[in-house]
Amino acid sequence: MNAELRFRPFFSLTRREIKRFLKVIVQTIVAPLINSSLYLLIFGVSLGRNIDLQSGQNYLVFLLPGLIMMGCLNNSFANTSSSIVGSKFAGELEDYKVVTLNPWQILLALSTGGVMRGLMVGFLTLLVGEGFIYYEVGHFVMPENPLILLYFLFVGGLCFASLGVSVAFWAKNFDQMSAVGSFVILPLIYLGGVFYSIDTLPPFWRSVSEFNPILYFINGVRYGFIGESDVPILTATILSVVMLSIFFSISFFVLKKSNFKRW
Amino acid sequence: MSSNLPLEVVDLTKKYGSFKAVDAVSFHINPGEIFGLLGPNGAGKTSIISTIVTLEEPTEGEVKVFGNNVRKSKHSKYELGFVPQEIINHGFFSVEEILQFHSGYYGVKNNQERIEYLLDKLGLFEHKDKKVKQLSGGMKRRLLIAKALVHKPKLLLLDEPTAGVDIELRESLWSFVSELRKEEGLSILLTTHYLEEAEQLCDRIGFLSRGRLIKTGPTKELIEGQTNRFMSIVLKPGTSVECSHDFFIEKKADVLTFKLPYQYPVGELLACTSLKLEQIQDIKIREGSLDDVFRQVVGGGVL
Ligand SMILES: Nc1ncnc2c1ncn2[C@@H]1O[C@H](COP(=O)(O)OP(=O)(O)OP(=O)(O)O)[C@@H](O)[C@H]1O
Ligand SMILES: [Mg+2]
Repeated sequence: MNAELRFRPFFSLTRREIKRFLKVIVQTIVAPLINSSLYLLIFGVSLGRNIDLQSGQNYLVFLLPGLIMMGCLNNSFANTSSSIVGSKFAGELEDYKVVTLNPWQILLALSTGGVMRGLMVGFLTLLVGEGFIYYEVGHFVMPENPLILLYFLFVGGLCFASLGVSVAFWAKNFDQMSAVGSFVILPLIYLGGVFYSIDTLPPFWRSVSEFNPILYFINGVRYGFIGESDVPILTATILSVVMLSIFFSISFFVLKKSNFKRW
Repeated sequence: MSSNLPLEVVDLTKKYGSFKAVDAVSFHINPGEIFGLLGPNGAGKTSIISTIVTLEEPTEGEVKVFGNNVRKSKHSKYELGFVPQEIINHGFFSVEEILQFHSGYYGVKNNQERIEYLLDKLGLFEHKDKKVKQLSGGMKRRLLIAKALVHKPKLLLLDEPTAGVDIELRESLWSFVSELRKEEGLSILLTTHYLEEAEQLCDRIGFLSRGRLIKTGPTKELIEGQTNRFMSIVLKPGTSVECSHDFFIEKKADVLTFKLPYQYPVGELLACTSLKLEQIQDIKIREGSLDDVFRQVVGGGVL
């Protein structure tokens, strides 16, 4: 099989995925951005003035990387899952099965599309956040380790994009789909240390939090931004790779077993 | 090298739960042939096609495309073009974008020429910037056909491709298909509820009823074998003749009716009846149609 046949199907589907969310940019990029701006305004600027962190850090500066990652994870997940659910409704998913795309190509293409949206939302949140920081603190805050920041955004986004793939392929109806979003993803993200440091929690809840995989992603990004983290950065890095392999294996398995039928 | 037939369906059974939608069906398609799969609603036509394109797994039996088992070899996918019975929507994408992506899925690059050729032939060129929901029903179906052809398949599966397409377009569609058949050596599996269309187009026909393939054969042979050819001779008013012939059935008013074998020369019959030419007002011959065959074979099932 030549390279053309191997890569073109993947690139085609990736392009489709990216074009899809760009066509509805107001829903897919602008709305999440407004969402994070509101968080910045309410928690960062308004309430944040009364919050003193042990580290002496400005709360807005502490919050921003959490929100960047939250936007990235949410939107990576939302992109793949809504694309697939939409295709199930339209019958388009049957096309993926009939054409020469194989499960790996489908998984990688959909995940790449998802992480692209996640990164865009993350990056734009960073820009907006810097605006708030400038207004509050009087200067911009440059990321301490931009590469680490990017690494965790990218790997975290990929994990959630592929999670979106498996949940959407697995779901038998719309309710199952949204149940996973509101009962699993959302709590895990909120409790993963977006808004607070787990050091402030009582020991019991602190230990519970350590089982939340998202904690490591969020703290990875925070380390990239302000050089501080609730968890050792090496642990977070290793776990991110482990999780990536787990998420992708599950998605691959679900995809292989799935019948691509329309709803 | 058992065969290189475009399609071989061997002992195919498909169950949904305990319900047998397809029951031990076997047939094949010869190179360059149009094979018609006919049967009433729910007979199992779509189920068979779905197993060919791997949307469904066979419960038993196997499907081979150009000698390759479709479940084991990815190669067959390049050779298959599939027009599903149900319309596929593509959300925000335009007709042209849809065809570009679809070409890409098959690994075909720079396919613009082919895409424009198909758009042109299928009368979609002026609609290429529209989204699926902005197309009419017939246009949607033609888009499905264009999608199935972007990668120049060798075997085309058409599941009711002409449902909702007007007569003129249906005709231009079929002349396009026969063009492809000649130029690209396309073989075709067709399901349709327009029996006249099937009679004109299909080289061979298979009749499906409740999941079972109950009769297969060349279209012409089926019609000749299952139906009768009737000849009515209308006599000039006032002519009185007596007639006795093996093929004679009845005389009603001035009309004599004969039932004659398909190969039997009409002239020979006329000679036998000792009718004089000046006694004859008119001769009508009614040949059987696929419709008649269908009614006989499937037994009055509603189409
Ligand atoms: N996914 C499914 N689950 C359960 N039963 C099914 C499923 N798909 C089809 N059937 C049943 O299998 C039988 C054959 O259906 P199929 O769609 O193959 O018929 P068909 O010949 O294509 O009919 P039509 O002319 O209406 O398109 C029907 O009785 C149908 O109810
Ligand atoms: Mg059908």
